Amino acid sequence: MFTTGFKFFFGTGVALATAGVLYGYTTGGNHMGPLSLGWKGGVGEHVGYGLLVGLGVTAMGVALTLIFFRDADPADQADYMGVDDIAPSAPVTASPWPIVGAFGVGTMAVGLVLNTAVFITGLVIVGAVAIEWMMDAWADRATGDPAANRALRNRIMAPIEIPAAGTALVAVGVLAVSRIFLNVSPLGAVVIAGVVAVVILGVGVLGALDVKMNRNIATGLALVVGVVVLGGGVWATVDGEREFHPHEIEGEEGHGGDHAEDDGEDHAEDDGEHSDGDTDSE
Amino acid sequence: MTMTDSPPATDIAHADSAAAVASPVAGLYEALTSTDHKIIGRLWLRAGVLMLIGAVALGVLLGFERVDGASTDIFGGDNAYFQVWALYRIGLALLVAAPLFIGLAMVVAPMQVGSTNIAFPRAALASAWGFMIGAVIMIVAVLAGGGWGAVDQASGDERDAVALTLVGMAMVVISLLLGALCVATTVVSMRVKGMTLLRAPLFAWSMLVASAVWLLTLPVLLANLLIAYVDLHNGPGTFGGGLSGDLSIYGQVDWLVQQPQVYAFAIPVLGVLGSIVPVTAGVRAGRHGLSMGLIGFFGLLSVGAWAQPYFQPTSDAVVRYDEKFVYIAFGIAAILPVLGALGGAADALFRGRNNFAGLPPAHVLGALGAGLLLLVGTAAGVARVVEPFELGDRVTTSGVMNLVLFSAIAAAVAGMWFWAPKIGGSELPPMMGRLVAVSLIGGGLLLGGAQVVNGFFETSVVPLVAPTDDVGDALNVVSLLGMLLIAVGVLGLVAALGKALRSTETAADDPWGGHTLEWATATPPPPGNFAEAPALVTSEAPLLDAPTDEGGEP
Repeated sequence: MFTTGFKFFFGTGVALATAGVLYGYTTGGNHMGPLSLGWKGGVGEHVGYGLLVGLGVTAMGVALTLIFFRDADPADQADYMGVDDIAPSAPVTASPWPIVGAFGVGTMAVGLVLNTAVFITGLVIVGAVAIEWMMDAWADRATGDPAANRALRNRIMAPIEIPAAGTALVAVGVLAVSRIFLNVSPLGAVVIAGVVAVVILGVGVLGALDVKMNRNIATGLALVVGVVVLGGGVWATVDGEREFHPHEIEGEEGHGGDHAEDDGEDHAEDDGEHSDGDTDSE
Repeated sequence: MTMTDSPPATDIAHADSAAAVASPVAGLYEALTSTDHKIIGRLWLRAGVLMLIGAVALGVLLGFERVDGASTDIFGGDNAYFQVWALYRIGLALLVAAPLFIGLAMVVAPMQVGSTNIAFPRAALASAWGFMIGAVIMIVAVLAGGGWGAVDQASGDERDAVALTLVGMAMVVISLLLGALCVATTVVSMRVKGMTLLRAPLFAWSMLVASAVWLLTLPVLLANLLIAYVDLHNGPGTFGGGLSGDLSIYGQVDWLVQQPQVYAFAIPVLGVLGSIVPVTAGVRAGRHGLSMGLIGFFGLLSVGAWAQPYFQPTSDAVVRYDEKFVYIAFGIAAILPVLGALGGAADALFRGRNNFAGLPPAHVLGALGAGLLLLVGTAAGVARVVEPFELGDRVTTSGVMNLVLFSAIAAAVAGMWFWAPKIGGSELPPMMGRLVAVSLIGGGLLLGGAQVVNGFFETSVVPLVAPTDDVGDALNVVSLLGMLLIAVGVLGLVAALGKALRSTETAADDPWGGHTLEWATATPPPPGNFAEAPALVTSEAPLLDAPTDEGGEP
């Protein structure tokens, strides 16, 4: 009937919500305020009230989700699936999140000492890993069938993962490649752009021809490309942008940036400082 | 019920367990992301062996430097010398001994208790990677001029590197705790039907005790690191950890490698001894409950977070912690469980003397040698706490540390030889194993023994202070020879592992006639470990007492 997970989370939710209502009354709430979320009366101390009631509602939401998916109760699952017995499942499937999480914690550790942006990057990685990890842990025990568990998990997470991962990949790739273009010579930038275009075209052709490739080779190639792009971007950022020589165009004083010889904007020379593009034409 | 000393044949097939879900991918991806406890354990073991190579290399350099105590020729300065010395000491405990045992336990303990996997497999995998990343941060930070405080003012500009050392070390400790938690939970809650805690195999039990002691004490080390980090960022605070040109940070963490805490890293030595010797002697281990009690007692005596010299009162009016009854009693009592465990091993060897032929196997040499090293280490610890000798601030402290930690390392290596079929699928070369065992134990005895004796000649524990006596210099040479011998052993270990990696021969499922459940699995063990759930366990040696085909009676 009611699964263990449902009982736990629903009970926790009721307890938290009750505590929130009591807290709302005992800290200055009046009338129906604490019961109506402040609609009919006051709720006293807002932060604690909001936290307790919010957590309570969240827990009850989790409880409803669990009862909907029949969480890990073998008897309920067997009844639900119309079989006598369900083989116990042991989650020994590979998972990338532990290594990504460890990398995120390492990034946070280094960022804590050296750079706030690095720390926040690590924090974002760890946050994403926490969500993925929880979903995997839930899905591993959703039913007695590992394939069904995987499908269930993917149905919920893929619509979030694919756009998010794609956006992150594109953003990091664009950022890294742009740093490389700004670092190398104009001719080098053209060559690199050509190579990248050929590679993209090549990958597209291989995909269109449905060429089968060993998974390990594909993983290794993707890893190498990722390391080259990311490493190149980091190296280029550290090395700085190349020297630009913007020049003045007759009749367009102060707007040389749009027609600079190296098609860059007005930049201070090689020291990373950017001018405003209006006043320092040479 | 008839008790036998030889296990019945097992007919467990190599088929996948119904409880196991085979990983859908293989190769590089699986090696990095698998949540199979055997693969995770191998990650820990490889990391531990790699760190062992580094630690021994540092030890050799330190040995050469110490021989000529008048100057710092190799490291080019007092501070660099001190940082490497500190890295060696802390690394030997946190980066070598503990990870080797966690790796061994992650492979072996789940099988010993009849489980299909380790508890929290993903957390176990995260602990392995977290350990490696933390170790790299810590080591790189020390080499970049960081470390645990400066002995001179020259490192005042390396504040970030010092801070990185602290956060890297914290990451290592947290990862070790996470790994220990997974091992302990497996032994506590994932035992097969019939295996009460009192029937748990000795190695699994010793890891449970060790994990409990680590979980109890290492968070205190985390608190030390937090204090040092806050002081570092906000200037010398209450505890003075602000690079004020002294050993303020190192002083707060050195208790980790001093007795009694250093014994915590050697608790599994007694478990390895109790698991290997009776099996090799071909007899049932006597007094299993007593052996468990001795391991638990040793664990109790190794709780040492309370004994921190940095925080001891300096006033003459107050008695120092190392002059108090509890500290002295702990120091003296620690030798008793080691003697008891060695007595049990000797009893098994005596009863099984007719089963021996030829040279003793490498794992027996290693296990017995590790027990001997621990006995010498705890005996030196007794001498250290006995007041008339006044060895507390002398190099005897390093001697006790080296004896105990190399005892742990030798036991872990012996375990790798014993459980090699379950770890990697093939046996490790036996002759090379004997060479490794003899080198590690002989080297450990020379290194630690010479340092213990050197303390009687008033040689300081601080590396920058030269011996006051010619005998002290001579004993430093003996210590260096010991470290060189250990280096030979480590080279042998690396060669043996490389040879096993290239080997295509698969070992037998149970080459030693084991008593516990890990020997009922196939070699190499499949995902899920057991083709079918192990039979009801009725004793601490389930393979000796397993029901026969005729039904019921063994």
